[in-house]
Amino acid sequence: MSSLVASLALQNLGPKVLDWNWISRNFSHEIIPAIIGHIYLSFVSVTIALVISLPTGIIVSRYRKAYPPVTFITGLLFSIPSLAFFALLVTVPGVGLGPRAVIIALVAYSLLVLIRNVVAGMDSVPEETKDAARGMGLTSRQILFKVELPLALPVIVAGIRIATVTIIGIATIGAYISGGGLGELIFTGISRNFPTRIIVGAVLATLLAVLADLSLLAIERYLRPWARTRRT
Amino acid sequence: MIEFRGVSKTYPGSLHPVVNDLSFEILDGEICVLVGPSGCGKTTSMRMINRLIEPSEGEILIDGEPNTAMSGTKLRRHIGYAIQQIGLFPHRTIADNIATVPQLLDWDKIRIERRVDELLQLVGLDPAQYRGRYPAELSGGQQQRVGVARAMAADPPIMLMDEPFGAVDPITRNRLQDEFLRIQEEINKTIVFVTHDIDEAIKMGDKLAILKEGGVLAQYDTPEKILAAPNSEFVSSFVGADRVLKRLSLLRVSDMELDSTNGDGDDLPRISERTNLKDALSELIGAGAERGVVVSNGDGARGTLSIETIRRLSHQAEAEQRYE
Repeated sequence: MSSLVASLALQNLGPKVLDWNWISRNFSHEIIPAIIGHIYLSFVSVTIALVISLPTGIIVSRYRKAYPPVTFITGLLFSIPSLAFFALLVTVPGVGLGPRAVIIALVAYSLLVLIRNVVAGMDSVPEETKDAARGMGLTSRQILFKVELPLALPVIVAGIRIATVTIIGIATIGAYISGGGLGELIFTGISRNFPTRIIVGAVLATLLAVLADLSLLAIERYLRPWARTRRT
Repeated sequence: MIEFRGVSKTYPGSLHPVVNDLSFEILDGEICVLVGPSGCGKTTSMRMINRLIEPSEGEILIDGEPNTAMSGTKLRRHIGYAIQQIGLFPHRTIADNIATVPQLLDWDKIRIERRVDELLQLVGLDPAQYRGRYPAELSGGQQQRVGVARAMAADPPIMLMDEPFGAVDPITRNRLQDEFLRIQEEINKTIVFVTHDIDEAIKMGDKLAILKEGGVLAQYDTPEKILAAPNSEFVSSFVGADRVLKRLSLLRVSDMELDSTNGDGDDLPRISERTNLKDALSELIGAGAERGVVVSNGDGARGTLSIETIRRLSHQAEAEQRYE
Protein backbone atom coordinates (compact mmCIF):
# COMPACT_ATOMS: atom_id res chain seq x y z
CA MET A 1 0.00 0.00 0.00
CA SER A 2 1.23 3.42 -0.83
CA SER A 3 0.00 4.72 2.52
CA LEU A 4 2.29 2.31 4.24
CA VAL A 5 5.26 3.44 2.19
CA ALA A 6 4.48 7.05 2.95
CA SER A 7 4.14 6.55 6.67
CA LEU A 8 7.40 4.59 6.69
CA ALA A 9 9.13 7.42 4.90
CA LEU A 10 7.82 9.90 7.44
CA GLN A 11 8.78 7.86 10.47
CA ASN A 12 12.11 9.60 10.94
CA LEU A 13 10.21 12.88 11.46
CA GLY A 14 8.98 11.57 14.76
CA PRO A 15 5.97 9.58 15.81
CA LYS A 16 2.77 10.03 13.88
CA VAL A 17 3.65 13.10 11.82
CA LEU A 18 1.19 11.82 9.27
CA ASP A 19 -1.00 9.09 10.64
CA TRP A 20 -2.65 7.55 7.57
CA ASN A 21 -4.76 5.27 9.72
CA TRP A 22 -6.30 8.26 11.43
CA ILE A 23 -7.02 9.82 8.05
CA SER A 24 -8.81 6.77 6.69
CA ARG A 25 -10.70 6.20 9.95
CA ASN A 26 -11.95 9.79 10.21
CA PHE A 27 -12.28 10.61 6.54
CA SER A 28 -16.05 10.41 6.22
CA HIS A 29 -17.21 11.69 9.59
CA GLU A 30 -14.64 14.38 10.30
CA ILE A 31 -12.62 15.41 7.22
CA ILE A 32 -15.47 15.50 4.66
CA PRO A 33 -17.75 17.56 6.93
CA ALA A 34 -14.86 19.93 7.60
CA ILE A 35 -14.36 20.40 3.86
CA ILE A 36 -18.08 20.98 3.30
CA GLY A 37 -18.20 23.37 6.25
CA HIS A 38 -15.27 25.30 4.83
CA ILE A 39 -16.81 25.52 1.37
CA TYR A 40 -20.07 26.64 2.95
CA LEU A 41 -18.42 29.40 4.99
CA SER A 42 -16.45 30.70 2.00
CA PHE A 43 -19.26 30.43 -0.53
CA VAL A 44 -21.88 32.11 1.64
CA SER A 45 -19.45 34.89 2.57
CA VAL A 46 -18.39 35.63 -1.01
CA THR A 47 -21.99 35.55 -2.20
CA ILE A 48 -23.19 37.98 0.47
CA ALA A 49 -20.17 40.21 -0.12
CA LEU A 50 -20.92 40.22 -3.85
CA VAL A 51 -24.56 41.14 -3.28
CA ILE A 52 -23.34 44.14 -1.29
CA SER A 53 -20.38 45.07 -3.49
CA LEU A 54 -21.99 44.93 -6.92
CA PRO A 55 -24.59 47.69 -6.38
CA THR A 56 -22.19 49.64 -4.16
CA GLY A 57 -19.47 49.48 -6.80
CA ILE A 58 -21.85 50.52 -9.59
CA ILE A 59 -23.18 53.45 -7.56
CA VAL A 60 -19.70 54.52 -6.50
CA SER A 61 -18.45 54.37 -10.10
CA ARG A 62 -21.19 56.87 -11.02
CA TYR A 63 -20.96 59.12 -7.96
CA ARG A 64 -17.23 59.42 -7.70
CA LYS A 65 -17.31 61.50 -4.50
CA ALA A 66 -18.53 58.45 -2.60
CA TYR A 67 -15.50 56.39 -3.65
CA PRO A 68 -12.87 57.69 -1.16
CA PRO A 69 -15.06 57.23 1.94
CA VAL A 70 -16.15 53.77 0.77
CA THR A 71 -12.52 52.73 0.19
CA PHE A 72 -11.58 54.19 3.55
CA ILE A 73 -14.22 52.24 5.48
CA THR A 74 -13.70 48.95 3.66
CA GLY A 75 -9.94 49.43 3.90
CA LEU A 76 -10.27 49.92 7.63
CA LEU A 77 -12.29 46.70 7.92
CA PHE A 78 -9.70 44.90 5.83
CA SER A 79 -6.87 46.00 8.12
CA ILE A 80 -8.37 44.62 11.36
CA PRO A 81 -6.37 41.55 12.43
CA SER A 82 -8.61 38.55 11.85
CA LEU A 83 -8.27 37.00 15.29
CA ALA A 84 -9.17 40.28 16.98
CA PHE A 85 -12.06 40.81 14.58
CA PHE A 86 -13.51 37.38 15.36
CA ALA A 87 -13.10 37.84 19.09
CA LEU A 88 -14.73 41.25 18.90
CA LEU A 89 -17.72 39.97 16.91
CA VAL A 90 -18.39 37.23 19.44
CA THR A 91 -19.12 39.88 22.05
CA VAL A 92 -21.71 41.59 19.85
CA PRO A 93 -25.23 40.73 21.05
CA GLY A 94 -27.08 38.53 18.56
CA VAL A 95 -23.89 37.28 16.98
CA GLY A 96 -22.01 35.20 19.52
CA LEU A 97 -19.91 32.14 18.85
CA GLY A 98 -20.37 30.14 15.66
CA PRO A 99 -20.47 30.48 11.87
CA ARG A 100 -22.49 33.69 11.93
CA ALA A 101 -19.62 35.72 13.38
CA VAL A 102 -17.20 34.11 10.93
CA ILE A 103 -19.36 34.94 7.92
CA ILE A 104 -19.77 38.56 9.02
CA ALA A 105 -16.01 38.95 9.31
CA LEU A 106 -15.33 37.23 6.00
CA VAL A 107 -17.87 39.44 4.23
CA ALA A 108 -16.24 42.51 5.76
CA TYR A 109 -12.83 41.37 4.53
CA SER A 110 -14.04 40.82 0.93
CA LEU A 111 -15.71 44.19 0.48
CA LEU A 112 -12.57 46.20 -0.27
CA VAL A 113 -11.33 43.91 -3.04
CA LEU A 114 -14.75 43.33 -4.55
CA ILE A 115 -15.89 46.96 -4.61
CA ARG A 116 -12.53 48.06 -5.97
CA ASN A 117 -12.76 45.55 -8.81
CA VAL A 118 -16.37 46.42 -9.62
CA VAL A 119 -15.32 50.07 -9.95
CA ALA A 120 -12.21 49.12 -11.97
CA GLY A 121 -14.38 46.95 -14.21
CA MET A 122 -16.86 49.76 -14.82
CA ASP A 123 -13.98 52.15 -15.47
CA SER A 124 -12.49 49.77 -18.01
CA VAL A 125 -15.50 50.16 -20.32
CA PRO A 126 -14.29 52.51 -23.08
CA GLU A 127 -15.95 55.93 -23.07
CA GLU A 128 -16.60 55.75 -26.82
CA THR A 129 -18.42 52.43 -26.44
CA LYS A 130 -20.81 54.02 -23.96
CA ASP A 131 -21.15 57.10 -26.17
CA ALA A 132 -21.99 54.98 -29.21
CA ALA A 133 -24.51 53.02 -27.16
CA ARG A 134 -26.20 56.20 -26.00
CA GLY A 135 -26.06 57.72 -29.47
CA MET A 136 -27.88 54.71 -30.90
CA GLY A 137 -30.71 55.06 -28.40
CA LEU A 138 -29.96 52.54 -25.65
CA THR A 139 -31.46 53.58 -22.31
CA SER A 140 -29.19 53.96 -19.25
CA ARG A 141 -30.50 50.62 -18.01
CA GLN A 142 -29.74 48.90 -21.30
CA ILE A 143 -26.28 50.45 -21.34
CA LEU A 144 -25.63 49.09 -17.83
CA PHE A 145 -26.86 45.56 -18.48
CA LYS A 146 -25.98 45.09 -22.14
CA VAL A 147 -22.73 47.01 -22.38
CA GLU A 148 -21.11 47.99 -19.08
CA LEU A 149 -21.66 44.88 -16.96
CA PRO A 150 -20.74 42.34 -19.65
CA LEU A 151 -17.55 44.28 -20.34
CA ALA A 152 -16.78 44.76 -16.64
CA LEU A 153 -17.51 41.13 -15.74
CA PRO A 154 -14.03 39.69 -16.34
CA VAL A 155 -12.51 42.31 -14.02
CA ILE A 156 -15.23 41.67 -11.44
CA VAL A 157 -14.59 37.92 -11.61
CA ALA A 158 -10.88 38.61 -11.15
CA GLY A 159 -11.87 40.38 -7.91
CA ILE A 160 -14.01 37.43 -6.88
CA ARG A 161 -10.95 35.21 -7.38
CA ILE A 162 -8.79 37.27 -5.04
CA ALA A 163 -11.57 37.59 -2.47
CA THR A 164 -12.30 33.84 -2.55
CA VAL A 165 -8.70 32.81 -2.10
CA THR A 166 -8.27 35.29 0.75
CA ILE A 167 -11.47 34.15 2.42
CA ILE A 168 -10.64 30.44 2.19
CA GLY A 169 -7.42 31.23 4.03
CA ILE A 170 -8.91 33.44 6.73
CA ALA A 171 -11.87 31.08 7.24
CA THR A 172 -9.53 28.55 8.90
CA ILE A 173 -9.09 30.99 11.81
CA GLY A 174 -12.87 31.05 12.20
CA ALA A 175 -12.67 27.69 13.92
CA TYR A 176 -11.26 29.56 16.91
CA ILE A 177 -14.76 30.87 17.55
CA SER A 178 -16.45 27.58 16.61
CA GLY A 179 -17.16 28.53 13.03
CA GLY A 180 -16.40 25.04 11.74
CA GLY A 181 -14.49 24.21 8.60
CA LEU A 182 -10.96 22.98 8.06
CA GLY A 183 -9.63 25.27 10.78
CA GLU A 184 -11.22 22.99 13.31
CA LEU A 185 -8.85 20.19 12.28
CA ILE A 186 -5.92 22.53 12.66
CA PHE A 187 -6.90 23.93 16.07
CA THR A 188 -7.67 20.55 17.63
CA GLY A 189 -4.44 19.25 16.12
CA ILE A 190 -2.55 22.02 17.91
CA SER A 191 -4.29 21.56 21.24
CA ARG A 192 -3.90 17.76 21.18
CA ASN A 193 -0.38 17.91 19.76
CA PHE A 194 -1.48 15.75 16.83
CA PRO A 195 0.34 16.93 13.64
CA THR A 196 -1.74 14.80 11.22
CA ARG A 197 -4.82 16.96 11.83
CA ILE A 198 -2.80 20.12 11.27
CA ILE A 199 -1.27 18.86 8.03
CA VAL A 200 -4.58 17.55 6.66
CA GLY A 201 -6.36 20.79 7.51
CA ALA A 202 -3.63 22.97 6.01
CA VAL A 203 -3.19 20.90 2.86
CA LEU A 204 -6.91 20.72 2.18
CA ALA A 205 -7.40 24.46 2.79
CA THR A 206 -4.60 25.20 0.34
CA LEU A 207 -5.98 22.73 -2.18
CA LEU A 208 -9.42 24.29 -1.88
CA ALA A 209 -7.99 27.76 -2.50
CA VAL A 210 -6.05 26.58 -5.55
CA LEU A 211 -9.07 24.78 -6.99
CA ALA A 212 -11.34 27.78 -6.45
CA ASP A 213 -8.75 30.02 -8.07
CA LEU A 214 -8.40 27.79 -11.12
CA SER A 215 -12.11 27.33 -11.69
CA LEU A 216 -12.74 31.07 -11.37
CA LEU A 217 -9.89 31.69 -13.77
CA ALA A 218 -11.59 29.34 -16.23
CA ILE A 219 -14.84 31.29 -15.81
CA GLU A 220 -12.98 34.56 -16.31
CA ARG A 221 -11.55 33.27 -19.62
CA TYR A 222 -14.90 31.91 -20.72
CA LEU A 223 -16.52 35.28 -20.10
CA ARG A 224 -14.49 37.05 -22.73
CA PRO A 225 -14.51 35.11 -25.94
CA TRP A 226 -14.01 38.42 -27.75
CA ALA A 227 -10.49 38.83 -26.38
CA ARG A 228 -9.06 36.26 -28.76
CA THR A 229 -7.73 38.05 -31.80
CA ARG A 230 -7.40 36.44 -35.17
CA ARG A 231 -6.11 39.14 -37.41
CA THR A 232 -5.74 38.29 -41.05
CA MET B 1 -34.96 68.89 -43.10
CA ILE B 2 -33.02 69.85 -40.01
CA GLU B 3 -33.37 73.42 -38.86
CA PHE B 4 -31.25 75.15 -36.23
CA ARG B 5 -33.11 78.12 -34.74
CA GLY B 6 -31.04 80.43 -32.58
CA VAL B 7 -29.30 77.49 -30.91
CA SER B 8 -26.77 78.29 -28.18
CA LYS B 9 -25.02 76.15 -25.66
CA THR B 10 -23.26 77.40 -22.57
CA TYR B 11 -22.04 74.89 -20.04
CA PRO B 12 -22.86 75.60 -16.39
CA GLY B 13 -20.05 77.48 -14.69
CA SER B 14 -18.72 78.82 -17.97
CA LEU B 15 -19.07 82.38 -19.19
CA HIS B 16 -18.49 81.71 -22.86
CA PRO B 17 -20.87 79.78 -25.04
CA VAL B 18 -19.50 76.80 -26.99
CA VAL B 19 -22.20 77.29 -29.59
CA ASN B 20 -23.47 80.79 -30.19
CA ASP B 21 -26.83 81.59 -31.79
CA LEU B 22 -26.66 79.05 -34.58
CA SER B 23 -29.34 79.32 -37.26
CA PHE B 24 -29.27 77.39 -40.51
CA GLU B 25 -31.09 74.69 -42.43
CA ILE B 26 -29.89 71.32 -43.68
CA LEU B 27 -31.86 70.11 -46.68
CA ASP B 28 -33.01 66.53 -47.19
CA GLY B 29 -30.57 64.29 -49.00
CA GLU B 30 -27.64 66.64 -48.51
CA ILE B 31 -24.34 66.10 -46.78
CA CYS B 32 -23.81 69.11 -44.56
CA VAL B 33 -20.28 69.29 -43.18
CA LEU B 34 -19.69 71.13 -39.94
CA VAL B 35 -16.08 72.20 -40.13
CA GLY B 36 -13.80 74.46 -38.15
CA PRO B 37 -10.81 74.56 -35.83
CA SER B 38 -10.96 72.71 -32.52
CA GLY B 39 -13.12 74.44 -29.97
CA CYS B 40 -15.52 75.77 -32.58
CA GLY B 41 -18.43 73.72 -31.22
CA LYS B 42 -18.93 71.53 -34.29
CA THR B 43 -19.28 68.28 -32.35
CA THR B 44 -21.48 69.96 -29.74
CA SER B 45 -23.73 71.27 -32.51
CA MET B 46 -24.02 67.79 -34.00
CA ARG B 47 -24.74 66.17 -30.65
CA MET B 48 -27.57 68.59 -30.00
CA ILE B 49 -29.44 67.21 -33.03
CA ASN B 50 -29.99 63.82 -31.38
CA ARG B 51 -30.06 65.38 -27.92
CA LEU B 52 -26.93 63.81 -26.53
CA ILE B 53 -26.48 67.43 -25.48
CA GLU B 54 -29.41 69.74 -24.78
CA PRO B 55 -29.14 73.35 -26.02
CA SER B 56 -29.28 76.18 -23.49
CA GLU B 57 -31.23 78.34 -25.90
CA GLY B 58 -33.06 77.95 -29.17
CA GLU B 59 -34.42 74.81 -30.74
CA ILE B 60 -33.71 72.28 -33.45
CA LEU B 61 -36.53 71.22 -35.74
CA ILE B 62 -36.53 67.96 -37.65
CA ASP B 63 -39.06 67.97 -40.49
CA GLY B 64 -40.77 70.92 -38.80
CA GLU B 65 -41.10 69.21 -35.40
CA PRO B 66 -38.96 70.21 -32.42
CA ASN B 67 -36.59 67.35 -31.62
CA THR B 68 -37.89 67.46 -28.07
CA ALA B 69 -41.27 66.12 -29.27
CA MET B 70 -40.23 62.57 -28.42
CA SER B 71 -37.95 61.05 -25.79
CA GLY B 72 -34.22 61.26 -26.38
CA THR B 73 -33.77 57.50 -26.68
CA LYS B 74 -36.63 57.15 -29.18
CA LEU B 75 -35.27 60.05 -31.22
CA ARG B 76 -31.77 58.54 -31.27
CA ARG B 77 -33.05 55.19 -32.57
CA HIS B 78 -34.20 57.00 -35.69
CA ILE B 79 -30.99 58.93 -36.31
CA GLY B 80 -27.86 57.09 -37.40
CA TYR B 81 -24.76 57.74 -35.28
CA ALA B 82 -21.13 57.09 -36.19
CA ILE B 83 -18.08 58.47 -34.35
CA GLN B 84 -14.36 58.65 -34.91
CA GLN B 85 -13.46 56.23 -32.12
CA ILE B 86 -16.11 53.95 -33.64
CA GLY B 87 -17.20 52.56 -30.27
CA LEU B 88 -18.00 49.08 -31.48
CA PHE B 89 -19.11 46.76 -28.69
CA PRO B 90 -16.02 44.59 -28.14
CA HIS B 91 -18.07 41.77 -26.60
CA ARG B 92 -20.45 41.45 -29.50
CA THR B 93 -19.87 40.01 -32.94
CA ILE B 94 -19.85 42.20 -36.03
CA ALA B 95 -23.37 40.99 -36.89
CA ASP B 96 -24.65 41.81 -33.39
CA ASN B 97 -22.98 45.21 -33.48
CA ILE B 98 -24.69 46.11 -36.73
CA ALA B 99 -27.97 44.69 -35.46
CA THR B 100 -28.00 46.95 -32.37
CA VAL B 101 -30.68 49.43 -33.44
CA PRO B 102 -32.85 46.93 -35.38
CA GLN B 103 -32.88 44.82 -32.21
CA LEU B 104 -33.92 47.84 -30.15
CA LEU B 105 -36.71 48.42 -32.67
CA ASP B 106 -37.82 44.78 -32.35
CA TRP B 107 -37.29 43.72 -35.93
CA ASP B 108 -37.76 40.01 -36.45
CA LYS B 109 -34.70 37.81 -36.61
CA ILE B 110 -34.77 36.97 -40.29
CA ARG B 111 -35.18 40.59 -41.30
CA ILE B 112 -32.22 41.56 -39.09
CA GLU B 113 -30.03 38.81 -40.55
CA ARG B 114 -30.86 39.85 -44.07
CA ARG B 115 -30.19 43.51 -43.26
CA VAL B 116 -26.83 42.73 -41.65
CA ASP B 117 -25.63 40.80 -44.70
CA GLU B 118 -26.87 43.50 -47.03
CA LEU B 119 -24.99 46.18 -45.07
CA LEU B 120 -21.77 44.18 -44.83
CA GLN B 121 -21.92 43.76 -48.58
CA LEU B 122 -22.58 47.48 -49.01
CA VAL B 123 -19.49 48.47 -47.03
CA GLY B 124 -17.37 45.90 -48.83
CA LEU B 125 -16.98 43.18 -46.20
CA ASP B 126 -17.83 39.59 -47.09
CA PRO B 127 -20.74 38.65 -44.78
CA ALA B 128 -19.82 34.98 -44.56
CA GLN B 129 -16.33 35.87 -43.45
CA TYR B 130 -17.00 38.77 -41.08
CA ARG B 131 -20.48 38.21 -39.62
CA GLY B 132 -19.29 36.11 -36.70
CA ARG B 133 -16.05 37.91 -35.88
CA TYR B 134 -15.35 40.17 -32.95
CA PRO B 135 -14.25 43.81 -33.46
CA ALA B 136 -10.73 43.10 -32.14
CA GLU B 137 -10.21 40.75 -35.07
CA LEU B 138 -10.69 43.54 -37.61
CA SER B 139 -8.29 46.20 -38.88
CA GLY B 140 -8.97 49.88 -38.15
CA GLY B 141 -10.38 50.49 -41.61
CA GLN B 142 -12.65 47.47 -41.39
CA GLN B 143 -13.90 48.64 -38.00
CA GLN B 144 -14.73 52.05 -39.45
CA ARG B 145 -16.76 50.35 -42.17
CA VAL B 146 -18.65 48.37 -39.56
CA GLY B 147 -19.24 51.58 -37.59
CA VAL B 148 -20.81 53.20 -40.64
CA ALA B 149 -22.82 50.06 -41.43
CA ARG B 150 -24.12 50.04 -37.86
CA ALA B 151 -25.20 53.67 -38.16
CA MET B 152 -27.16 52.84 -41.32
CA ALA B 153 -28.69 49.64 -39.94
CA ALA B 154 -32.26 50.73 -39.32
CA ASP B 155 -32.26 52.85 -42.48
CA PRO B 156 -32.58 56.17 -40.62
CA PRO B 157 -33.38 59.22 -42.79
CA ILE B 158 -30.76 61.26 -40.92
CA MET B 159 -27.21 60.27 -40.05
CA LEU B 160 -24.76 62.02 -37.74
CA MET B 161 -21.11 61.30 -38.43
CA ASP B 162 -18.36 62.72 -36.24
CA GLU B 163 -15.05 62.31 -38.08
CA PRO B 164 -16.10 58.79 -39.06
CA PHE B 165 -12.96 58.25 -41.13
CA GLY B 166 -10.62 60.02 -38.74
CA ALA B 167 -8.87 57.06 -37.15
CA VAL B 168 -7.32 55.51 -40.26
CA ASP B 169 -4.34 56.20 -42.49
CA PRO B 170 -4.76 58.72 -45.35
CA ILE B 171 -4.97 56.09 -48.10
CA THR B 172 -7.67 54.10 -46.34
CA ARG B 173 -9.47 57.32 -45.45
CA ASN B 174 -9.52 58.38 -49.07
CA ARG B 175 -10.96 55.03 -50.09
CA LEU B 176 -13.59 55.09 -47.35
CA GLN B 177 -14.60 58.61 -48.38
CA ASP B 178 -15.02 57.56 -52.02
CA GLU B 179 -16.96 54.48 -51.01
CA PHE B 180 -19.19 56.49 -48.75
CA LEU B 181 -19.96 59.04 -51.46
CA ARG B 182 -20.88 56.14 -53.77
CA ILE B 183 -23.15 54.68 -51.06
CA GLN B 184 -24.74 58.07 -50.45
CA GLU B 185 -25.70 58.28 -54.12
CA GLU B 186 -27.78 55.16 -53.53
CA ILE B 187 -29.20 55.88 -50.09
CA ASN B 188 -29.59 59.65 -50.32
CA LYS B 189 -29.60 60.35 -46.59
CA THR B 190 -29.55 63.68 -44.83
CA ILE B 191 -26.10 63.64 -43.31
CA VAL B 192 -24.47 65.89 -40.75
CA PHE B 193 -20.74 65.29 -41.01
CA VAL B 194 -18.22 66.75 -38.59
CA THR B 195 -14.55 67.18 -39.46
CA HIS B 196 -11.68 69.54 -38.75
CA ASP B 197 -10.13 68.75 -42.12
CA ILE B 198 -11.11 71.31 -44.75
CA ASP B 199 -10.07 68.99 -47.60
CA GLU B 200 -12.35 66.27 -46.33
CA ALA B 201 -15.12 68.86 -45.88
CA ILE B 202 -14.77 70.10 -49.47
CA LYS B 203 -14.74 66.56 -50.78
CA MET B 204 -17.69 65.25 -48.80
CA GLY B 205 -19.95 68.27 -48.43
CA ASP B 206 -22.89 69.45 -50.49
CA LYS B 207 -22.87 72.34 -48.03
CA LEU B 208 -20.22 73.52 -45.61
CA ALA B 209 -21.00 75.19 -42.32
CA ILE B 210 -17.74 76.83 -41.29
CA LEU B 211 -17.66 77.52 -37.58
CA LYS B 212 -15.16 79.65 -35.75
CA GLU B 213 -14.08 79.72 -32.15
CA GLY B 214 -16.88 80.40 -29.71
CA GLY B 215 -19.30 78.44 -31.86
CA VAL B 216 -20.18 81.20 -34.31
CA LEU B 217 -21.28 80.29 -37.83
CA ALA B 218 -18.82 82.06 -40.10
CA GLN B 219 -20.20 80.99 -43.47
CA TYR B 220 -22.75 78.50 -44.75
CA ASP B 221 -22.79 77.67 -48.43
CA THR B 222 -21.73 75.18 -51.08
CA PRO B 223 -18.00 74.39 -51.20
CA GLU B 224 -17.77 76.06 -54.63
CA LYS B 225 -19.24 79.32 -53.37
CA ILE B 226 -17.16 79.34 -50.21
CA LEU B 227 -13.94 78.70 -52.11
CA ALA B 228 -14.80 81.31 -54.74
CA ALA B 229 -16.00 83.91 -52.29
CA PRO B 230 -14.99 83.48 -48.66
CA ASN B 231 -16.93 86.09 -46.72
CA SER B 232 -14.26 86.94 -44.17
CA GLU B 233 -10.59 86.88 -43.33
CA PHE B 234 -11.23 83.89 -41.06
CA VAL B 235 -12.91 81.76 -43.72
CA SER B 236 -10.38 82.68 -46.35
CA SER B 237 -7.47 81.69 -44.11
CA PHE B 238 -9.28 78.56 -42.90
CA VAL B 239 -9.91 77.25 -46.41
CA GLY B 240 -6.28 77.96 -47.22
CA ALA B 241 -4.21 80.00 -49.62
CA ASP B 242 -4.67 77.31 -52.26
CA ARG B 243 -8.42 77.77 -52.37
CA VAL B 244 -8.33 78.57 -56.08
CA LEU B 245 -6.76 75.17 -56.72
CA LYS B 246 -9.14 73.50 -54.26
CA ARG B 247 -12.02 74.95 -56.19
CA LEU B 248 -10.59 73.60 -59.44
CA SER B 249 -10.52 70.17 -57.84
CA LEU B 250 -14.31 70.35 -57.51
CA LEU B 251 -14.83 70.84 -61.24
CA ARG B 252 -14.48 68.12 -63.83
CA VAL B 253 -13.06 68.50 -67.29
CA SER B 254 -16.35 67.17 -68.64
CA ASP B 255 -18.14 70.20 -67.13
CA MET B 256 -16.09 72.60 -69.26
CA GLU B 257 -16.78 74.07 -72.63
CA LEU B 258 -13.99 72.77 -74.77
CA ASP B 259 -12.24 74.32 -77.76
CA SER B 260 -12.45 72.38 -80.99
CA THR B 261 -9.64 70.10 -82.06
CA ASN B 262 -8.05 71.46 -85.18
CA GLY B 263 -6.65 68.10 -86.13
CA ASP B 264 -3.36 69.10 -84.54
CA GLY B 265 -3.76 67.08 -81.33
CA ASP B 266 -1.20 64.40 -82.01
CA ASP B 267 1.63 65.91 -79.99
CA LEU B 268 -0.54 67.28 -77.16
CA PRO B 269 -0.97 65.58 -73.77
CA ARG B 270 -4.20 63.61 -73.33
CA ILE B 271 -6.54 64.33 -70.45
CA SER B 272 -9.40 62.06 -69.46
CA GLU B 273 -12.67 63.98 -69.27
CA ARG B 274 -13.25 62.47 -65.85
CA THR B 275 -10.26 64.13 -64.19
CA ASN B 276 -10.83 67.27 -62.19
CA LEU B 277 -9.52 70.63 -63.32
CA LYS B 278 -6.82 70.77 -60.70
CA ASP B 279 -5.28 67.52 -61.88
CA ALA B 280 -5.75 68.55 -65.51
CA LEU B 281 -3.89 71.78 -64.83
CA SER B 282 -1.13 69.88 -63.11
CA GLU B 283 -0.83 67.54 -66.09
CA LEU B 284 -0.64 70.42 -68.54
CA ILE B 285 2.02 72.23 -66.53
CA GLY B 286 3.94 69.01 -66.09
CA ALA B 287 3.84 68.30 -69.83
CA GLY B 288 4.93 71.84 -70.57
CA ALA B 289 1.96 72.29 -72.89
CA GLU B 290 -0.49 75.16 -73.26
CA ARG B 291 -3.30 72.86 -74.33
CA GLY B 292 -4.34 69.23 -73.95
CA VAL B 293 -6.67 66.91 -75.82
CA VAL B 294 -9.66 65.83 -73.78
CA VAL B 295 -10.56 62.22 -74.38
CA SER B 296 -13.43 60.10 -73.15
CA ASN B 297 -12.77 56.50 -72.19
CA GLY B 298 -9.28 56.67 -73.50
CA ASP B 299 -9.95 57.11 -77.20
CA GLY B 300 -12.48 59.55 -78.67
CA ALA B 301 -11.10 63.11 -78.64
CA ARG B 302 -13.76 65.50 -77.36
CA GLY B 303 -11.93 68.77 -77.83
CA THR B 304 -9.04 70.62 -76.29
CA LEU B 305 -8.64 72.37 -72.99
CA SER B 306 -6.15 75.19 -72.53
CA ILE B 307 -4.46 76.58 -69.44
CA GLU B 308 -5.84 79.90 -70.49
CA THR B 309 -9.43 78.62 -70.14
CA ILE B 310 -8.72 77.42 -66.59
CA ARG B 311 -7.01 80.69 -65.74
CA ARG B 312 -9.96 82.71 -67.01
CA LEU B 313 -12.38 80.59 -65.02
CA SER B 314 -10.47 81.05 -61.77
CA HIS B 315 -9.86 84.71 -62.34
CA GLN B 316 -13.54 85.37 -63.02
CA ALA B 317 -14.50 83.85 -59.70
CA GLU B 318 -11.92 85.99 -57.90
CA ALA B 319 -13.18 89.10 -59.69
CA GLU B 320 -16.77 88.33 -58.76
CA GLN B 321 -15.71 88.03 -55.18
CA ARG B 322 -14.10 91.45 -55.24
CA TYR B 323 -17.19 93.13 -56.59
CA GLU B 324 -19.50 91.54 -54.08
